[in-house]
Amino acid sequence: MKLLTISEGAGWFLAADKEWAVIDGITKEDLLRLVDMTLASDVEIDAYCEAGIGNRAQQIVYKSVAQKLQELSDRRGEFVDESERLYLTEFERYTLDLSAAEDSAEAAQG
Amino acid sequence: MDAIGRQRHDERAGTPGEAHREPRSAVDDSGVRRLASDHEEADAGGIVKKIDLHIHTVPTVRDASFEFSLAKLVEYVSNSRLDAIAITNHDCFDRAQFETVRDSVNAVVFPGIEVSLECGHVLVIAACDALDTFEEKADRLHERVATPLDTISLDDFERIFGDLRSYLVIPHYEKSPAVTGASLDRISQYACSGEVDSAKKFIRATKNDAGLTPVLFSDARIAIGLHDLPTRHTFVDCGELTLRALKSSLQDKRKVALSENDGNALVQVFDDGQMISTGLNVLMGSRSSGKSFTLDRIDTSHDNVKYIKQFSLVQQDSQADQREFDRGLDRDRSLFTEEYLRGFKAVLNDVMRVDLAANDRAVADYVSTLLRSADEADRQDAYSKTALFDESEFPQSDDELLSQLIGSTRQLIENLKYRDVIERYIDRNALKRLALDLIKTLWERADDRKRKTVVNALVADIKKALKMRTSATQVSDVDLYQVSLDAKKVARFSRIVRVLETAAVIREDEIQGFKVIAKKGPYGGAGEIKSVSGVVAAFRDAFNEYDRPYQYLQQLLEIEPLKQSELYKLFAKISYSILNADGFEISGGERSEFRLLREIADAQNYDFLLVDEPESSFDNIFLRSDVNEVIRAIAAYMPVVVVTHNSTVGASIHPDYVLYASKEPDGDNVVYRLYSGYPTDHELESCDGRRVQNYEVMLNSLEAGREAYEDRRQGYEALDD
Repeated sequence: MKLLTISEGAGWFLAADKEWAVIDGITKEDLLRLVDMTLASDVEIDAYCEAGIGNRAQQIVYKSVAQKLQELSDRRGEFVDESERLYLTEFERYTLDLSAAEDSAEAAQG
Repeated sequence: MDAIGRQRHDERAGTPGEAHREPRSAVDDSGVRRLASDHEEADAGGIVKKIDLHIHTVPTVRDASFEFSLAKLVEYVSNSRLDAIAITNHDCFDRAQFETVRDSVNAVVFPGIEVSLECGHVLVIAACDALDTFEEKADRLHERVATPLDTISLDDFERIFGDLRSYLVIPHYEKSPAVTGASLDRISQYACSGEVDSAKKFIRATKNDAGLTPVLFSDARIAIGLHDLPTRHTFVDCGELTLRALKSSLQDKRKVALSENDGNALVQVFDDGQMISTGLNVLMGSRSSGKSFTLDRIDTSHDNVKYIKQFSLVQQDSQADQREFDRGLDRDRSLFTEEYLRGFKAVLNDVMRVDLAANDRAVADYVSTLLRSADEADRQDAYSKTALFDESEFPQSDDELLSQLIGSTRQLIENLKYRDVIERYIDRNALKRLALDLIKTLWERADDRKRKTVVNALVADIKKALKMRTSATQVSDVDLYQVSLDAKKVARFSRIVRVLETAAVIREDEIQGFKVIAKKGPYGGAGEIKSVSGVVAAFRDAFNEYDRPYQYLQQLLEIEPLKQSELYKLFAKISYSILNADGFEISGGERSEFRLLREIADAQNYDFLLVDEPESSFDNIFLRSDVNEVIRAIAAYMPVVVVTHNSTVGASIHPDYVLYASKEPDGDNVVYRLYSGYPTDHELESCDGRRVQNYEVMLNSLEAGREAYEDRRQGYEALDD
């Protein structure tokens, strides 16, 4: 899925309604949503190209956001490894306790 | 019976000066070692040898101060009838003293050293004729250990001693500071036995086929004024007393034992040679005959003893007893909660460092400063136009995962126990190449991190300097990776709390008719949380957020008197109760019974259990049905001594060994004597060779004498008729 694109002399980001919106209208919520998408699956980001964007303000915003998302995309494997292992031992241990308790309750009823 | 169960030759010939001469042994036609003939015995000694290869004679930086006594060592070797000893001081070898000892005691004396490795302590014992080489290596080692904190790495140890197969190497095994894990695997390649510090651990180790052969030594400081001589020794079926023969025997668990004639059934308990069973002993005797004194003596002369004294558990004051019981229950609950929630506590400590609000502000700052900076694009000056003005820092990550991966690969390479299985699937050289590659990657990343740290600091300095010279908006930086990871942490934390809050029984143990039940579930209100917290504060606001774990945590952090280290107890309620066999709260009498059973059960963490007259606190039915059963279960794997006058305990418990304490006139004085033997023995015998009738002892001690026993028996018969 493409998150940032350059076309018609402007920079665009994928808005919540799946439509393209001009990059200088991006909000904090938009950015966090794009971050989540970048870390959750393979995404495409048009590389920054100064000549492709006519507006100076859009150039600045597009360049910064594209750089941030690209860095995250490059570290996606690391993020998946790290987040999946987060507190995994503890989570499995307490879940196992719960399953054992449920099993013994079922056995008692049976 | 094990090979060791055969008779050891009692007499040791020769003068002190001849002591280190190596005795001979005999081999019969079948190749099995046996006792030498009568003629040979006078000179050669038997096949079973009593040894103590861990003795200290020099106060080093690792010892409390003491003054060595040669006379005491001679007395110890002679009274204990030791066949061989080793002098093993901490990280040093005093050759002159060694030679004096060797020429003075009537036993083979091996040169040795106790080495303080990083991974634990190890005894290294050399052959008697290798003194020069051994001294040179010991001196090299000694130079490395100048303070009590200095240790030697395993690599250096192996480098200094060279081929360790030519020594007798004995790591601390079930004894502190123990060598464990990969270090033990490595040392096991040239060690055949491991030192333990109690009879219980010795027996356990002999049953572990995969482990080292255990040896039990005194580890004694032979000091002037040493009152009780050491009682920890090992009997080895080794024929002759050479280092080679000892090493060979110590590879076979069947060739070591705690006693001379009884395998591991008996162990020495006092320095006069008194033995007790490594299982269940009953100690009988009339009033003031020295029974409690005997228990006190075992308690003071041995480490790690559980001693349940007479009347200690009897109910005297109902309210006080209830309070004491409740305190005990609370302690148990607290210990259980701490253990159960240990993992959650670690998670909570990490989540406490996550500040979602600050992360949110950082993202908002980034977006707003970015947009403002874009707005000002046409008004940029020379400073804000520089490339570094809005530069963000290089992201940094630690290499914990990579380090763990290297550790796992190393484990696969170094594991000895499962090497066959591993090599069935993975080529060992490929694993080594993988480890090298991973280590190289780790180094590269570490270098990269160092460079980026320097650049980040530089960029931050430059950005600060540029910012001071312009009114243009500078874009605030944000670490979006960390922001996302923190969000994941909170989500996983919330799931764990949900699981913890779900009501369930998490422990249900049966202890001799009592039920110990631990349950978990959600807190029902702010009052419950306050009660568990132990602080005076309002918890209502916090409890309003109880369904949202992270927000609840933030509220708890606002409560001033609460310690952060105690917060982990306030997420799920752990209740702990003890019920009787019918599932009801227990009564006063049942409380005492439970406490006794719990005390006895607690003994499994010790090396000895002593119980003084349990009948003084409990009725016979409880003693017979419950106490006897628990005591017998404990005695299956550790020495237990029960003092009793009560036939329910004394006879019904079916002891493995019987001890009888007796106060006897000796001229104008009295002497306290201890007789012992197996329950089926006709007579019990004292260490000085006196004997008493076992049957009479039983009747006098447990039934108030033959006459009273007959009288009672006839009374019961009349009732029955």
